[in-house]
Amino acid sequence: MAFESDLLALVPRLRRFAASLSRDRADADDLCQAALERALRSRDQWRPGTRLDSWMYRIVRNLWIDEGRARQRAAQTFVAEEAGAHVGHAGDRDVEAHMMLSDVDRAMQALPDEQREAIALVLVEGLSYKEAAAILGIPMGTLTSRLVRGRGALIEILGEAA
Amino acid sequence: MTDLSEKMLIALVDGELDDVTRRRVEHAIAEDPALTRRLAMHRRLRDRLAVHYAPVADEAAPDRFTRLLDDAATVRPLHRPAARRWTHWATGGAIAASLLIGLAIGHRLPPADGPVDLRDGAMVAQGDLARALDTQLASAPDADALIRIGVSFQRQDGGWCRSFGGATVAGVACREGGQWRLQQLVPGDRSDLAYRQAASGDPRVADTVDRLIAGGAADATAERAARDQRWRP
Repeated sequence: MAFESDLLALVPRLRRFAASLSRDRADADDLCQAALERALRSRDQWRPGTRLDSWMYRIVRNLWIDEGRARQRAAQTFVAEEAGAHVGHAGDRDVEAHMMLSDVDRAMQALPDEQREAIALVLVEGLSYKEAAAILGIPMGTLTSRLVRGRGALIEILGEAA
Repeated sequence: MTDLSEKMLIALVDGELDDVTRRRVEHAIAEDPALTRRLAMHRRLRDRLAVHYAPVADEAAPDRFTRLLDDAATVRPLHRPAARRWTHWATGGAIAASLLIGLAIGHRLPPADGPVDLRDGAMVAQGDLARALDTQLASAPDADALIRIGVSFQRQDGGWCRSFGGATVAGVACREGGQWRLQQLVPGDRSDLAYRQAASGDPRVADTVDRLIAGGAADATAERAARDQRWRP
């Protein structure tokens, strides 16, 4: 029971993290749900005594990366094989979804994945560099470089320049 | 602006600098209007992102999440490996044996001083509970015993722990300083469901075992050896 209630307590943070990664809120909640399902399935892999939040952030992040790759592949296949038969429709929906996004959402989406995930963990989730680097499996130096570049890009897009 | 100072500025905003470095960086910034503007810009960006996504965390979780977790919590005791750990109770006439225990308990009230004492601010086992933890083997259950041992295992630091269950109390105790320190104490299984719970164990106790255990539960040989060594790690 403790495992499930600990997961439930993490849901607000996981949804926020998923929202900062995903293109819209519906995608974010689908991602979050997939992460919870995976956590329940692979609960044996979580080592008691280690941090459940880091483990969950890692699951969300890995699923998001996998989905992104799958979507990219699907998009390439789609355009190549069906020669744009449905592109008009999909395009309209994309434009519509895009218009409902705020500046911040749009700016985040413009970032390359590796900058977006670093920004999401440190600036949105408020994790320390050490925690974020561990979750992403990268050295601290790499993390800080991505934070510098990601911030630079956000400032440019959002027009926050001083 | 060099990359290094940009990193320093950002590290300051992210609260990553130690006190000495932070004071030095703040001092340098205070003397340079361009740096001061840049610092303000980075602070605004961080605030803007935090404020933008904060409402997501304040919303109530969608029902489907709560349902998913509720279902998992309800279904789990039937499927979880805990059943394996309590297997000695589940096999060969354990239900009948437990019913007998239940009957026996009716006639044997626990001693007036109870199974638990408070020493140095910690709960430690005493009396029948301490004796059961010292001597009983999960691998050789005694159907007449007031307290039954569920599982013996070692935790991360190598110390021995044992889960136990009885009519009054159930829980987990670990050997520390020659005593059995209670890690968890929950009400015993004195209910209509006693015979069923005896086979599955209290899920809360199973969770504590899950949290503490390093590796798997001790087998009969390891358990006997540990008892003969007086539960020294």
